[in-house]
Amino acid sequence: MKKILAILLAGMMTTAALTGCAGSGGSTADKGNSNGETKTSESTGKNGVVDVADFGDEDNITLKVWAPDAAVKITKQQCEAFKELYPDKKIEITIVAQGEDTAATQMMNDPDASADVFGFCSDQLNKLVNAGVIAKCAYADQVTAANTEESLNAGIIDNKLYCYPETTNGYILVYDKRVVSDDQAKTFEGVLKACKDAGKQFIMDAGNGFYSCIFTFTGGVKLDGLEGEDNDIQKFTDYDEDTAVKTLAAFGKLFKDYKGTFTSLDVANISSGFSSGKCGAGIDGTWNAVVNEKALGDNLGVAKLPTINIDGKDVTSISMFGYKSLGVNGSSKFPRSSQILAYYLSGEECQRQRATEIGWGPTNSTVNGEDVVTQNDMLTAINEQSKNAVAQVNMSSTFWDPMKNLGNKIIAEEFKPDDTDAIKKLLDSTIANIRDE
Amino acid sequence: MTYVEYRQLNPFQRFAFNFKKFISNVPHAVANFFKAIGRGIVKFFVGIGKGFYNYGTTFVKGDWATKLSYLIFGVGDFSKGKYYKGILFFLVEVLYILYMVFFGWTYLKDFTTLGTIPKHTEPDGIFEKIVYGDNSMLILLYSVLTIVITIVVFAIYIVNTKDAYKMQLLRAEGKKPTSLKTDIKDFMDGKYHITLMSFPVLMIGIFNILPLIFMILIAFTSYDYQHMPPGTLFTWVGLDNFASLFDVVNNSTRARTFIELTEWTLVWAVIATFSNYILGMIFALMINKKGIRLKALWRTLFVITIAVPQFVSLLLMNQMLQSNGAINILLSYITGQNVEIQFFNASPLLARVTVCVVNCWVGIPYTILSMSGILMNIPEDLYESARIDGAGPVKTFTKITLPYMVFVTTPQLITQFVGNINNFNVIYLLSNGAPTTHKFYQAGYTDLLVTWLFKLTMDKQDYNLAAAIGILVFIVCATLSLIIFNNSKSMKDEEAFS
Repeated sequence: MKKILAILLAGMMTTAALTGCAGSGGSTADKGNSNGETKTSESTGKNGVVDVADFGDEDNITLKVWAPDAAVKITKQQCEAFKELYPDKKIEITIVAQGEDTAATQMMNDPDASADVFGFCSDQLNKLVNAGVIAKCAYADQVTAANTEESLNAGIIDNKLYCYPETTNGYILVYDKRVVSDDQAKTFEGVLKACKDAGKQFIMDAGNGFYSCIFTFTGGVKLDGLEGEDNDIQKFTDYDEDTAVKTLAAFGKLFKDYKGTFTSLDVANISSGFSSGKCGAGIDGTWNAVVNEKALGDNLGVAKLPTINIDGKDVTSISMFGYKSLGVNGSSKFPRSSQILAYYLSGEECQRQRATEIGWGPTNSTVNGEDVVTQNDMLTAINEQSKNAVAQVNMSSTFWDPMKNLGNKIIAEEFKPDDTDAIKKLLDSTIANIRDE
Repeated sequence: MTYVEYRQLNPFQRFAFNFKKFISNVPHAVANFFKAIGRGIVKFFVGIGKGFYNYGTTFVKGDWATKLSYLIFGVGDFSKGKYYKGILFFLVEVLYILYMVFFGWTYLKDFTTLGTIPKHTEPDGIFEKIVYGDNSMLILLYSVLTIVITIVVFAIYIVNTKDAYKMQLLRAEGKKPTSLKTDIKDFMDGKYHITLMSFPVLMIGIFNILPLIFMILIAFTSYDYQHMPPGTLFTWVGLDNFASLFDVVNNSTRARTFIELTEWTLVWAVIATFSNYILGMIFALMINKKGIRLKALWRTLFVITIAVPQFVSLLLMNQMLQSNGAINILLSYITGQNVEIQFFNASPLLARVTVCVVNCWVGIPYTILSMSGILMNIPEDLYESARIDGAGPVKTFTKITLPYMVFVTTPQLITQFVGNINNFNVIYLLSNGAPTTHKFYQAGYTDLLVTWLFKLTMDKQDYNLAAAIGILVFIVCATLSLIIFNNSKSMKDEEAFS
């Protein structure tokens, strides 16, 4: 009994600790609810809305939607608005809270009992397509036209678009403006120096593959889809080993030089560090935007990841960038209605609402150009970072562990930036392990 | 060597003698083991042969009703006036046939392949609908169910034929069959054990045995993250999963991980069990010593750690041992320098020592508790007579206290040992397998087999590999428990100390 409990608790732990999607949105629920939430357009033809004929002969429709905790309320409102769009159809929609990081596993366990429309993180797409539980996107043309290219890349497998992009899911640099100036925030050296001068920490979770992949990505070792007989071996782009090793050495050296300032800790420590005044800057996920803002208020600075100086050149840091998307259950009893609903929820109007009300960065190009994004430092920084990023898709599940190990080794006490052979070996064994060779 | 000679040896010589005896006995023991297995197999086949013989002779000797009940359940009973039993037998047959036709056979027929029809998509304009083919997992699950049901029904069938013949003999003797009322009375009296046990046995069968068979079978399939039903099929792969765990020749990461983690798991189990046992015993002795004041207070203080749920303690410890955790901060204060010991992320040895030490914190209070109870139970007159005979404290400890405690706690020690082999909480919540390494497949240096298994199922969905590891862990645990328990004094000499 104890063991079962332990496994359950451990399961909950992993839910909380899993990369990327952890605590997505956090406690963002009550933010600016006042600006009229049901102003949804009645006019068809707009992005997200289709002709009632697309329903075919489906009627008496019952749909189940999975949304993360933070978005349940707004999804409910949006579903109500969706029903009003099609008054001739009898539509019943239930919304169930389900974390996006575990949605894929739940789907695969029992697709028949799962939601018709579900939100998930882009790195799970492969699993879902492999298991054959996700239907391909019916409104591919419209979705492609309306959303950013990066977000679409994260939803395409074998030239087929599978999901409706909903929001961005990445990490950026956050800093205390009193400690780090906007100019210093442009380079790793500047950020670390400013933090050291102020006697504060720079926090990054280097012992987590989601963040430590910055080291290899910046060095040119980027993901390039999957290969192999079962399509399960991670492919890496052609990279220059010397550059990669140099980059790893540069990161390692930099962190060594700023020992005591650079601290590898869970991202949760960043907001608490801001509150206690211990932390000057950190690399944090967009889902922690609200807690960070609460801690620092107007002093919170956000920017894309800083550059790192390698051989006298400032090199742009490349990060991993995920997207959250809506998928349609392949075995849904109402395949047409599910697609229409998913299309609506990922449409322009709904993305705008989510950006305004719960701070989810939109993937819709139109919304991205609007005030809600351009006037918001956070969302702007995310957009900039997304241009220097590797999409979190087409990933082998063996990626995380070796990458975590690489991060741990680079920040370790024993790491020697001059020992090129050792670094080369570390890189080789990491790649070999990811490829399970 | 005679008994007298043996008594004259010093303890080391005695140990050497016993050890030699043990080693020289091994071939004999192994031979006995195989002989026992051989005898078992022979017995099994003789039993089956006998069954067939009885089955045949009963049919030859039987009258028309007995013969007919070989085809239709319950005819024998019914024709001899035992209506309720006949109807029940007949009902079983009807239900079984219905079950097989409408449910069981649809799955059982694919048992050898675990399904052949893959999923396909039905396009519908811009829309599409996925139509699933065979679901390997359901085929496996329901096939197991069907096979078990078939075995049970076959047993009922044999009982039915025997019963028919028995009724025939009863009729020949001129006796009447017992009535329903007498039979029910009998179930409340002479056959009460059946009434009492049938429900628990049924439940154990459904909730323990069935899933267990299912899980064991998974170890022989290709059910991993690449073969996830319902979208894809998986099939039988024989011993491939076990082979990949023992594939030392190619120096595969899986084999290396398995072997090194097995070593560490055993080392951990020994250290964790005995450190708790010995330290707990020492604390209990100290608390129970005559002349120690405030016994209840000390005992309570130690027991308070039990009051905090184990996982809470472990998660707290995990936080305290982080590089910015309480321990490092405390050390920084004391030394005046910035101390940042990486308890879990640096050296494997430090991490392993750390988990062992923290395990003492969560484990010792339990040992103290049970040991105190045992210590208070040792009859005082034993000590008294020892004192009169002139025995000192050391002698009384080694001759009375220790044998008594070891005798009583051996079974507990075994359970603890097996429990430590599978000690999921401590490792998973405390270190989560860290430090990481590139040498292992989805595991770190402090991972036990069971936490590795957990990671394989939860993070990687490699169910087949995990099932194979589970079977191997079970074999290790079962063998060790049997050997230790059968050699323990509490098993050989149950009456001692009573």
